[in-house]
Amino acid sequence: MDSDSVSTGDNCSQSAPFFALPRHLLGRLYLFGALAAFDYLACFAGRGAVAGRLKIFGLQTVTYADIPLFAFVVFLALGHSKWKAQQEDIPFGRILFCCHLLCMAAVLYITLVAQKELGWQLYDPFSYTKSALYILGAVLLALACVPLRCWLGAIHSTGLLWLYASFAGVAGWCLSSPIRFLWNADGTALGVTMQTVAFHVVRAVLGVFRQDIVYDPATFTMSTPRIESTILAGCTGLEGLGLILLFTSIWLWYFRKEYRFPRALLLVPGALACIWLLNIARLCGYVLIGDAFGSDIAEIGFHARAGWISFTIVALGFSMLAQKLIWVRRIPAAVSYPAGQPGSGALNTVAGASEESSEFRGESPAIRPYLIPFLAILAATFVSKASSGYFEWLYPLRFFVAAIVLWHFWPELKKINWRFGWLGPVAGVVVFLVWIAPTLWAHRYASSRLGTDLAALSPTARWAWIAFRVAAAVVTVPIAEELAFRGYLARRIISRDFDGVSFTSLTALSVGVSSLAFGLMHGEHWIVGTLAGLAYAGVLRWRGRMGDAVVAHAVSNLLLAAWVLGLGDWAQW
Amino acid sequence: MKKNLLKYSLVVLGLALGTIGTAHGLAFGHGSPEVDPSLAISALTLLGGTLAVLRVRRGK
Repeated sequence: MDSDSVSTGDNCSQSAPFFALPRHLLGRLYLFGALAAFDYLACFAGRGAVAGRLKIFGLQTVTYADIPLFAFVVFLALGHSKWKAQQEDIPFGRILFCCHLLCMAAVLYITLVAQKELGWQLYDPFSYTKSALYILGAVLLALACVPLRCWLGAIHSTGLLWLYASFAGVAGWCLSSPIRFLWNADGTALGVTMQTVAFHVVRAVLGVFRQDIVYDPATFTMSTPRIESTILAGCTGLEGLGLILLFTSIWLWYFRKEYRFPRALLLVPGALACIWLLNIARLCGYVLIGDAFGSDIAEIGFHARAGWISFTIVALGFSMLAQKLIWVRRIPAAVSYPAGQPGSGALNTVAGASEESSEFRGESPAIRPYLIPFLAILAATFVSKASSGYFEWLYPLRFFVAAIVLWHFWPELKKINWRFGWLGPVAGVVVFLVWIAPTLWAHRYASSRLGTDLAALSPTARWAWIAFRVAAAVVTVPIAEELAFRGYLARRIISRDFDGVSFTSLTALSVGVSSLAFGLMHGEHWIVGTLAGLAYAGVLRWRGRMGDAVVAHAVSNLLLAAWVLGLGDWAQW
Repeated sequence: MKKNLLKYSLVVLGLALGTIGTAHGLAFGHGSPEVDPSLAISALTLLGGTLAVLRVRRGK
């Protein structure tokens, strides 16, 4: 870690307008994709949308949306490098965009009227009107974001890419149905084969540890005195195999310039074998943990999280191996070094060339103190919850891990401006009020077992757990989350060298995306979580000090802790 | 042509099989706890963040 790699964020004088649309073609294509996705979700996938009514001209949008989705993603992904070089400013069609908004408003109005008052028939005039307005709105949006001549230029400059993308869309749509079927594979030949293989391997492994387990091959069931487990087709590792295949495909494609093909593809079956074996370990662990500690820990904690832990381990192992294994890495024909750099003018070894090649594409070293505390909390959360049933008895682990990591990075972190003024606490109070507003509105608390579980503990254990819970909420979590979401992510969206971006230069896009990411981390509270993120980011941008955002976050959490402990609204925790 | 074919094949394969993740949630009555969105987001954030840290430039 460089001693000067952490910037305070407020020592840079560069400024940018808070809200600025992307000016170039590539950014506009991304903007179009994001807005089109928002339109689709707002019009068809909201709470009011009912299955069977999501139709455009009689076609099920849920099914056929795969085609334009895949086609556009492939078109964008493969044309990315070509369009990135186009730096021509292109105009934004404000009038067209307003017309698009009117179309979407009309679609929503018709949806609400049709559903609530008039009923919905597939071929009634409302259906056709709505479909026509939706298509018109999408076309207007496309032309508002990217003028027609630019669309034609983008298509022309990439040759037959539009055709490849169309084929990809149709291929993705064709494959999606059978793949979906895999998840309902109980009783099918494939499902039974997967179940049979997994069952016998698990049986062989468990035989090493326990001799008293009763096996029923007919139903793929294993029974111990305390737990009974059945291996369903969906539990045989299909999900992990799919996710790893997706991850490795995207990784090898994104970093394709760094690898030799086709030999790099040999890493993929290795990763698939690893994830399958880890799933076998998960199934064995489920039985052994359930028998030793009870079905709560095995089912509620271990079962789900072990799968994601396995996926994370294999994905990380794959990426690290792919970076280190010289045999699969490409030797750059010539590595250009900045003048005066060591190695300039010399013929490099394979390893040296690979390292230098990735060196110039990598992340800023300043990322470590900003991101690792939050990642440590996430990792500790997985371990803690995987070891718990309904009650997360290992919660103090989150506090200790975060405290140790923050302490480790404190020499770098202390250079950040931690001062704060009145705005931080005020914002914290406002966020707290917004957070509990739904509860106040509903006049009732959501159900939660936490209060009952805490009451079952001894007084010492109960208050110790609460003390660590409050300390984490007020001290370690606000610091780690503000560093990650506002200190890193919001600035990283603006520039790869995020530590050179001033906090006062955050843009609407960076604030919005980082706040949405922050909100999504809060599960069912994602909407108020996003609003909270916007408030903290707003405070940071206004005052330009990390201290204000952290204090706002800490005050919100402190008031929420007081609310929970004072009123017993345990669902808020 | 061979290079492009490999590139397109990889992307199409990845995207098609990527539907597995979402398909799992959409499958008929399959109630696996792995589908819990907040759990998936946490895991993917942990993975993405760790990968970002691992790809730090060696020096400045």
